[in-house]
Amino acid sequence: MEETLAIFIASTLRLAMPLMLAASGELVSERAGVLNLSLEGMMLTAAFFGALGSWATGNPFLGVGCAVLAAVALSAVQAWLSVNLRANQLVVGIGFNILALGATTLLYRIIFGGLSREEIPGLPKLSVPGLSDLPFAGTAFFQQSVIVYFGFGLILLIWWMLNQTSFGLAVRAVGDEPRSADKAGIPVARTRWLAVLITGAMAGMAGAFISIADIHTFTENMTNGAGYLALAAVIFGGWNVGRTIAACLLFGAATALQFQLPAMGIHVPTAFLLMLPYLLALLAVAGVVGRLDPPTALTLPFQRGK
Amino acid sequence: MQFGGKTWLPPSPAEALEQGIAMVHQHFSLVPRMTVVENLMLGQARGVLNRAAFAARISDIADRFGFVLDPNAVVGELSVGERQRAEIVKCLMRDPQLLVLDEPTAVLPPSEIGALLDICRRVADSGRAVILVTHKLAEIAKVADKVAVLRTGRLVAQADMATADMGALVQAMVGREVKPLDVALDDSEDSAVAPPNQPGFALVCDGLTVLDRHGATRLDNFTLEVRPGEIVGLAGVEGNGQSELGMVLAGLLAPTEGRYFIGDVELTHAGAAAVTAAGGGIVPEDRHAVACVTAMSVAENMYLNKLDRFTRFGLLQRRALNEAALVQMKEFDVRAAGPDVAFSGLSGGNQQKAVLGRELTLDPLVALVAAQPTRGLDVSAVEAVYRQIRAAARRGVGVLLISSELDELIAVADRIAVLYRGRLVGERPAEMNERGAIGALMSGQGAI
Repeated sequence: MEETLAIFIASTLRLAMPLMLAASGELVSERAGVLNLSLEGMMLTAAFFGALGSWATGNPFLGVGCAVLAAVALSAVQAWLSVNLRANQLVVGIGFNILALGATTLLYRIIFGGLSREEIPGLPKLSVPGLSDLPFAGTAFFQQSVIVYFGFGLILLIWWMLNQTSFGLAVRAVGDEPRSADKAGIPVARTRWLAVLITGAMAGMAGAFISIADIHTFTENMTNGAGYLALAAVIFGGWNVGRTIAACLLFGAATALQFQLPAMGIHVPTAFLLMLPYLLALLAVAGVVGRLDPPTALTLPFQRGK
Repeated sequence: MQFGGKTWLPPSPAEALEQGIAMVHQHFSLVPRMTVVENLMLGQARGVLNRAAFAARISDIADRFGFVLDPNAVVGELSVGERQRAEIVKCLMRDPQLLVLDEPTAVLPPSEIGALLDICRRVADSGRAVILVTHKLAEIAKVADKVAVLRTGRLVAQADMATADMGALVQAMVGREVKPLDVALDDSEDSAVAPPNQPGFALVCDGLTVLDRHGATRLDNFTLEVRPGEIVGLAGVEGNGQSELGMVLAGLLAPTEGRYFIGDVELTHAGAAAVTAAGGGIVPEDRHAVACVTAMSVAENMYLNKLDRFTRFGLLQRRALNEAALVQMKEFDVRAAGPDVAFSGLSGGNQQKAVLGRELTLDPLVALVAAQPTRGLDVSAVEAVYRQIRAAARRGVGVLLISSELDELIAVADRIAVLYRGRLVGERPAEMNERGAIGALMSGQGAI
């Protein structure tokens, strides 16, 4: 029983990790007033280019670099469209997701074609010396892919940046009252640009985690809605870092149940378990968890004097 | 402009601040979700935030000028007065030589005004100059050293407060120019209409009170009766509760207390459709956002409240609608290329005439509430609007005319009630020799 629980915790962490990375990145840009519905597309693109980079170079760390670069490039286009051109952020995001799905599927078939099912060089697991042998916590927490530990570091960094630095202050100000921020001398467009690029980098890490660290291959549409779940987690978490991470863990746990319940001999229809994280997300977005209080200027482009 | 001994004109607000001129605007530029100290650090602090050091500076300034401000309070949870103090601290942190406050008391509840004036006094005593822009003479009398009166962009009076004659200042404030409006309306044959004596009331406001979401009183026990055929002007400086009253009477805002009738029908919580059904014609203050749908055609806008007349089996009879609109456009002199052009293409005057036409053709029409109906209109359109309103009154409609243009009210209304800080502070006949007295009521003289 204890062993099962430890495995359940470990797989919850593993399944929640891409959500946590993507959601904490998305949180930065939403706090700055830009909604990246394209999160799913960024993650999928990153997963593909991560796998490609890792396969081509034989080095999974270079693969992660490729993934981050690809997602940041995509987020730069998103930032240019939504900040400079003031395009409708919802439409841009949906467009990106469709484009990413089509493009990665096409490239995958062209490049990998016959090689499908072949495993790519993945990131190593890191057993933390001295801790991984602990009876319960060892299995639960300390036998994860290196990217998990690194990811937690990044999330802490984002929390610290938002709350303890002048850049974080500027991000929060341009997302709530861009006019006031502008008057206080904050460069609104530049702040939003940087925030969107941070989202891109984090989505890149999330995509790389899925293809390089977790599955060790690329498959068509392999993110399978994880980007949307991350978006839902931001809403569920009330645009607060700690609560967003908690929401990701909840979604991760719901997904992990799919594998755990049958193993424990409890029979629940698989379809229901597959649906569970999305159902939770739907309830969250519908406001069941409480009144939603998004950043005031979320999705609203800023133009001085208008 | 002469500033600090040299001739200089600030090219931008940032430059002015750099040179020591700080301004507290009527609309605050604070982020409600952040704390006071975070707001003040915005754009000032670099790198890692040191909240404690900044908070100490805030407390220091607050102490020096004799007020209290919690640096760690979230701005969105503060009262308007506290937010204003945060704005003032933001200015004082830059150590300005000149502090300009634009209508600082307009947003404050009476209890906080005294404290604000004390702060102004202390800032002045610390060797800085303070300019206080306000409509309210009583406040100036309390705190200022010098007073200057601006009217329509010109300096019309200047005095030392110690020796100033209040009566002369009031006269200077409300001024008197002959407007073409009076001539035009006086020339018309209907100028001397006595209010017909009809029984009952067209419009009754009984103790209407509106508290805003911060709990501040916007409309305070407002009681007014308008008889059929009477035009009652409601004078007052803008921002003294007119908008809230207009929204309540239009059925767009539920009053916190009080009741409201058109004819014999109570409409307090009934909503806009019921107001229309009861014969309440509403010309809203905000023409673009509330009165019309600018993307729709002229005809659709003119019959927006009567579209069911032109609907058969759920389908709009567009030809009949356009024909009817054409007739109404002639009647109300709405000049447009045709009934099916977009409303947004019309001039402000023609838009307003169309809205007025729509409301005046309600059947039955018992009362008309027109809020700032002539704002932004040229003289001929102003004249046309008032001719229509007076014609309606002659037909027995009770009219409540809300306007900040005192001269227009005097020319059009039968009697004038004055709104100040959400309260009805007095009522005078609409006569030329009353304008000094009305002006004094508008500026809060004898009202506080």
